[in-house]
Amino acid sequence: MGDLSNRTLTRPELSGGPVNLSRRGFLLASSGAAAGSLVLGLGLPGSRARAQEAMAPGTRVPAFLEIRPDGTVRLLSPFVEGGQGVFTAMAQIVGEELDADPATFVVENAPPGADYQVMEGMPGFRITGGSLSVRTSYAAMRRLGALARAMLMTAAAAQLGAPVSELSTEPGRVVHAASGRSLGYGELAPAALDLPVPDPESVTLRDPAEFRWIRQPVKRLDVYEKSTGKAVFAIDAQVEGMLHAAVQHAPRLGMTIGTIRNEDELRAMKGVHSVHHLPGAVAVVAERWWDAKRAAEAAQVDWREPEGAPEPNLRHMPADFSTDAFGDALERAPGDGEEAEAKGDAPKVLGEAETVVGATYRAPFVNHAQLEPPATLARFNPDGTLDLWVPNQAPDMFQADAAKQAGIEPARVRVHSPLLGGFFGRHFLYPSSNPYPQAIALAKAVGRPVKVIWSREEEFLRDRLRPMAVTRFRGTLDADGLPLALEAVSACEGPSEAISGRDKDGKLDPMATEGLTGKAYAIPNVRVAQIYVQNPTMLGYWRSVGHSMNDFLYESFFDEMADQGGQDPYELRLRLLAGNERLTNLLKAVGDLSGGWRRGPFTAEDGSRRARGVAMASPFGSEAASIAEVSIEEGEVRVHDLWQAIDPGSIVNPAIIEAQVNSAVALGLSQVLLEEARYEKGQPVARNFDMYPILPPDRMPRVHVRVVESGAPMGGIGEPGLPSVPPAVANAVSHLTGQRARRMPLSRLSFES
Amino acid sequence: MKKRFAIPAVVLLAAVAGGVWLAKHHPASPFEAAEKSAAAPDLVARGEYVARASDCVACHSLPDGAPFSGGLEMATPMGSIFATNITPDPETGIGAYSLADFDRAVRSGVTPDGRRLYPAMPYPSYAKLTDEDVRALYTYFMEAVEPANHPNRPSGIDWPMDQRWPLAFWNMMFTEGGVYEASTSEDALWNRGAYLVQSAGHCGSCHTPRGPAMEERALDESSPLYLSGALLDGWYAPSLRNDPNTGIGRWSEADVVAFLKEGRNAHAVVFGSMADAFNNSTQFLTDEDLRAIAHYLKSLPGDPERDGSPWEYDPASAAALAPARRAEVPGAQTYATKCAYCHGADGRGRAPWIPPLAGAVSALAPEDASAINVTLNGSARVVAGGVPDAYRMPPFRAQLSDREIADVLSFIRSAWGNSGGAVAPEAVAELRGPTDPASSQVIVLQMR
Amino acid sequence: MELRINRETYSVQSEGDTPLLWVIRDELGLTGTKYGCGIAQCGACSVLVDGVVTRSCVTPVDSVEGSEITTIEAIEADETGRRVVEAWVAHQVPQCGYCQSGQVMAATALLRESPNPSEEEIAAVMVNLCRCGTYNAIKAAMADLADGGERG
Ligand code: FES
Ligand code: FES
Repeated sequence: MGDLSNRTLTRPELSGGPVNLSRRGFLLASSGAAAGSLVLGLGLPGSRARAQEAMAPGTRVPAFLEIRPDGTVRLLSPFVEGGQGVFTAMAQIVGEELDADPATFVVENAPPGADYQVMEGMPGFRITGGSLSVRTSYAAMRRLGALARAMLMTAAAAQLGAPVSELSTEPGRVVHAASGRSLGYGELAPAALDLPVPDPESVTLRDPAEFRWIRQPVKRLDVYEKSTGKAVFAIDAQVEGMLHAAVQHAPRLGMTIGTIRNEDELRAMKGVHSVHHLPGAVAVVAERWWDAKRAAEAAQVDWREPEGAPEPNLRHMPADFSTDAFGDALERAPGDGEEAEAKGDAPKVLGEAETVVGATYRAPFVNHAQLEPPATLARFNPDGTLDLWVPNQAPDMFQADAAKQAGIEPARVRVHSPLLGGFFGRHFLYPSSNPYPQAIALAKAVGRPVKVIWSREEEFLRDRLRPMAVTRFRGTLDADGLPLALEAVSACEGPSEAISGRDKDGKLDPMATEGLTGKAYAIPNVRVAQIYVQNPTMLGYWRSVGHSMNDFLYESFFDEMADQGGQDPYELRLRLLAGNERLTNLLKAVGDLSGGWRRGPFTAEDGSRRARGVAMASPFGSEAASIAEVSIEEGEVRVHDLWQAIDPGSIVNPAIIEAQVNSAVALGLSQVLLEEARYEKGQPVARNFDMYPILPPDRMPRVHVRVVESGAPMGGIGEPGLPSVPPAVANAVSHLTGQRARRMPLSRLSFES
Repeated sequence: MKKRFAIPAVVLLAAVAGGVWLAKHHPASPFEAAEKSAAAPDLVARGEYVARASDCVACHSLPDGAPFSGGLEMATPMGSIFATNITPDPETGIGAYSLADFDRAVRSGVTPDGRRLYPAMPYPSYAKLTDEDVRALYTYFMEAVEPANHPNRPSGIDWPMDQRWPLAFWNMMFTEGGVYEASTSEDALWNRGAYLVQSAGHCGSCHTPRGPAMEERALDESSPLYLSGALLDGWYAPSLRNDPNTGIGRWSEADVVAFLKEGRNAHAVVFGSMADAFNNSTQFLTDEDLRAIAHYLKSLPGDPERDGSPWEYDPASAAALAPARRAEVPGAQTYATKCAYCHGADGRGRAPWIPPLAGAVSALAPEDASAINVTLNGSARVVAGGVPDAYRMPPFRAQLSDREIADVLSFIRSAWGNSGGAVAPEAVAELRGPTDPASSQVIVLQMR
Repeated sequence: MELRINRETYSVQSEGDTPLLWVIRDELGLTGTKYGCGIAQCGACSVLVDGVVTRSCVTPVDSVEGSEITTIEAIEADETGRRVVEAWVAHQVPQCGYCQSGQVMAATALLRESPNPSEEEIAAVMVNLCRCGTYNAIKAAMADLADGGERG
C-alpha cells in the first residue's frame, strides 16, 4: 500500500485539535488501565491544550505517555495491534529514547486526533497498513521518547536542585551521579508531564550503536494476555445495558428489503427485542446474540432487485455473476492495456522475434478470512456523544464516517480501537463491509448500547475481495538464452481505483501492477500494462495487496522463460541481478540458508520425489527471496521446507520479524495451495471455512528465516514476507511435475503423485 | 438445485411394442361434468393441506421464484426436465385447466393436450387421492395461489427420447390406478396412515425400490418390497419398515412422529432429500395424521434376511481414536478432527440436536450413497416451525479428497458395531461430480 | 439448567439446544472463549468438558449438564494449563491471539491425557486453525512441554 496517503483512501474531515473526551473516563473504561489507579500526566487543561495546538504531530508528550507512580509507562500507539507486534515495537522505540524498559510498558491504541498522525511524509493521515507503521514513525517515536526523557530530567533538576547537565538516566530513573541521588520516573511524572514540551530540535537521539532494546528480540507485551483469554477484542466488548444484534444481509449487494413475511413471528421468538429494516439487511436485536442470530436467519425476506444506479462506492452484484466466467472474460479482454512501466522497446523486439514464449496466468479473488468475525459496539451517551468499539486500521477515518452516520460532530465520537483478531487489510473504512453503520443505527433506534456481530456466513457474504487478475505474458530470449524482452499485460482492477474511483488524470492504480512493475532484473526491454476491467465485486486490500498476486504471476513466468532458454532459474536470477549488491546478497543468503541451491528433482530420505523453486519480490520497501521444497502426495502439493531471506534495510525486533515472516509464509501458502473466493449466480459459494479452507497446521512447512540488514532505508515487515512464497512453490511444483502451474490455487489443478 | 431421476431407455423399448390407441387414450375423470363453482374457504384450507402433504412445492417452486411457478431441474440420463408452472396463470400455468383436466394431470399424468407427464411427477401415488382431496387441491391452486406468468422451460431431452407417448404404455404397465381403498381388517388410524403414505405422501417414490423401467416395485403393503429402501438422486432412502438396521425397527411410533414433526429424534435428524420433505411437508401435518402415518409404518414387518442381525453398540472402536493410535486405522484421524467434535468419539452424537452415527442407517446400509453424499455436500438447514436448526452438517468436498472421505466413511461404517462396510474412493468420485454442496442458508419455500 | 464451569455452579436460562459457546460468552460473560466459525471448523471456541477438548460452538448446552467444564479463564488454576501458558509465553506463540484460547485448551487437554506426547500425537491433536500462521511456534512450545521443558 505504498502510496495510500496520496490517492487511495478518502481522507476524513479532521477536527483539528485533540478529541473532546474525558481522558480520565476513557482511561478507566479501557482495558489497559487498572481501575482506580491514579491517572497522571494526561490532564490537559483546555487553555494549554489550545496554546499548544500548533504542535507537530508526535511531539505532544502527554498525549502519548502516562507514567504511573509505580513507574509503569502507558503509551498510546498511533498504530493498532492486530498480531504484527507493533505495540511492542512502539514500546521498544519509545523506551529506547525514554530510557525505560519496554517490559514496563502498557500499550493501547490511541484515539483519533492530529497528535497521532505521525506518519512521515503523510501529513494528516493515520492508518495501520501497508507495512508502514514502524518505518514511517520510527523517527517520530524516537523523538517522542527523547522529549519525554528531557522533561523528566528537567523536573528532576528542579527537585534535586542540580543542573540538568549533571543528570543522567538509567532505565526508569533519573540519576544524579555526583550526589548519588536518584528519582524514579513515577515520582517525577506529575511535575514532568506538566512542563512545556521542549523544542523537538533540542533533543539528541541515542547513538544506534548503544541501543539496548531496538534490534533486540524483546518479548512481546501482549503474549501473556493472549495466552490466557484476557485479551479483549471488539467482539468481546461489553458495557452495561447492552443488547446484541445479528443481521441477515441481502444475498446480493444492492438488493433491498421488500417485505419480511414472518416479521411478527420473528418478534415473538425467544429473547428477541426488536426487528429492524436496515439498508440491505435485516437486523434482529435481542438480549443474547444467539437468539438474535437465530431470528435473523429465520427471517423470510422478499429481497428486491436494486433500482437505479448504485450509490458512489457501492457496486450492485449482478444475479448472473460467476467468477469462473469473469476470469474467462478477463482472459479475452481486448487491447494492449495502459502502460504502467516501460523500458527499451518490448513490443518491437517481441514483434521481430522468431520465437516468443507466451503464457496466460490467473490469480483468483480471495477472502481475508481473519479469525475474528467483524463486530462493533455502539453506545450513545446522555450527553449525545457516541462511543464506538470498532475493529479498525484507521481511527480518524472511522470517526469521521461514524459521525456522518450518527449525524453528530466528529469530535463527539469516541473511537475505541480494540485488538484486532487478525486483519490483513480487512479493517479499512469499507462502510458496506463493516458492521459499524449498523451498530450506530441500531443503538440509535433502541436507545441502548448495541453490539453487532456478523456471523461467519455474513462475513463471507460481505467481505471485500482481493482483486482477480489475468495476466498475459510474452517474452523472448537472445542467442544465449537470456531474456531480451518481457511483456506483462494484466487485465484487472486495482484495489485503490475500486475503492476511490479511477484517477481523474488518468494515472493508473500502482497497486494493480505492483510486483509486475519494479522488478530489478536486467532485462533490456520490458513493458508492463494494465487493461482496466471493472469488477462487479467490492474490492479491498489484502495482505501484500498487488504483490500478493503479481509476484506469483511474474516470478512463475520468469521460470518459464528460464526453462525456455535452458537456464537454471536461480542462476539466471543471479545473472540478471549482477551489479545489484543488495539483491545478489539476498539471493545468495537464501541459497546458503537452504544448504546451497539445488533444483532437483531429487529423492528425499523418505523416498518422496521433491524439487525446489525460487522466487523474489521487492514489496513495501523491503526485499525478500524464498526457496520452497515440494513433493506431490496423493495428488496434493506438499511443501516441506520454506527458506526465506528478508532484507528490510534495518530492523527493530528480530523475533517479531521472524514471527511475521512465518505468518506471511502461512498466508502465502494458504493462498497458493487453497484459497479462491468463488461466486456463482451472484453469490459466494463459500460462506464459512467449510467451503473456504485456509492453511491447516498439517500443511505448514518448516520455515527458515534469515534477516539481512543491508542498511538501506527501513522497509516494511508485515507484508513483505508473503509475495515470494506462492511463486517459489509454484515454480517447484512446475519443475517437479513438468506441468506449468499457471493459476492459483494449486488445488484447482490435478497432479500425478 | 438439481434432482436426478433416471428414466432409462428401457422405457422406450417397452413402448415400441405399445399401440397408438393406448398412446392417444384420454383417461376418464369423475369430474368430467363438474361445474366451476365458488369454493368454500374450508375447501381451500383443505386443499392447501393436501398440497402440503403432497409436497407439491418441493418440485414446482424455486427459492427465488414465485410460488409454484415451476423450475426445479431433474437431471435424467437423457437430459434435464423441468417442473412446470402450476399457478393458475392461464397462459403459462394451469389457469385454463378444468377440474377434470387437473384431475387427469394429477392422478393420471396426462395434460389436457394429451401429453404424458414424466413419472418424475408421482402420479402413480397421487392416483390414490380421493376425489374430495383432488377437488380441494384444485380449489386451492385456483383460488389461493397467485398466478405467475412464467413460461415453462423446455426439457433438454432430444429426439427420440423426448417422445412422451411411450409413457402411456409405461402407465398401463406400472400404475395400478384407482383411489385408495380402505382395508376392512384395519382400524381407521391405520387406514388414514396408509392413505397418507401411499397417496399424497408418495413416500414410495423415494423409499420403494424401482424396477428396470424405473417403476416402483410396489405401491402398497401387499408386497414386502414396499418402502423397503431405495437408491435415488444420489441418496439412499432407507427402509420405512420394521428393519432394525436399515429401517425404523428401533424407533417407537412416538419417534416417527417426532421425526416428521420436529425433523429429529434420538436416532436421526432429517438430511438429504428428506430435509426438503420435512421443511416443506411433513411438519405441517396434524399430530393426528402423523400418528396415523407412524402407526401404519410401524405395522410393516421388517425382513431379517435383507436387514441382517440387529445392530448393537460396541464401544471398542473408541480406542482407535486415541491420539497415539490414530495413524493405525485409516480414517480415524479424519474422524477425530472433522466429525468427532459433533458426532462424538463414541459416535453417539448429541441427540436430538446432532444425530448419532453409531447405529445410523447410513452407517448400516450396504448402500453408501447417503453417507458419501452428506459428507461431500453437507445437508440443507432444517427449519422446524419457522426456526432454523442450531447445528448444520457442513460440506467437506473442499477439504477432503475422495480417499479421505472413503477412509473416514469406512471407519464410521465399521465403528461402534456399525456394519455398512467399506466405501471405495471411486464411489466418492462418482458422486462428487454430479452433486452440489447444500446451501448453508435457511431456505423456506413459500406456498403463497 | 445448572452448569458446572470452572468449579462453580451457574444456573442458566438458555434453551437446551443453545451452543455452550454462547451461554459462556453472553449469559455468563466469559469472553475468553472465542467464536470463529460456529461449525466446528476452526477450534477457537475450544473448552474442556470433563477434561476432553470440546468445540463449544457445536455443543448443545443440555448435553453437558452435570459435566465439569473448564474455560480459558481458569486455565492457570490447572497445573498443566499453567505450564502450557508458560510455554506459550516462552515461545512467544500468539500473534493476533484470537485463536490462542482454543490452542491453549487443546494443548492442555492433550498433555493431561498424555504427559509426554510424541510428535505424531501432537500433530494429531493440535488441529485448530490459526490465520496468523503460528503453527510452528505452537509446535515448538508443544515439543518443549512434551519433554517436560527439557528440550528447546
Ligand atoms: S467457533 Fe467453534 S470451531 Fe470455530
Ligand atoms: S494468532 Fe491470530 S489466528 Fe492464531
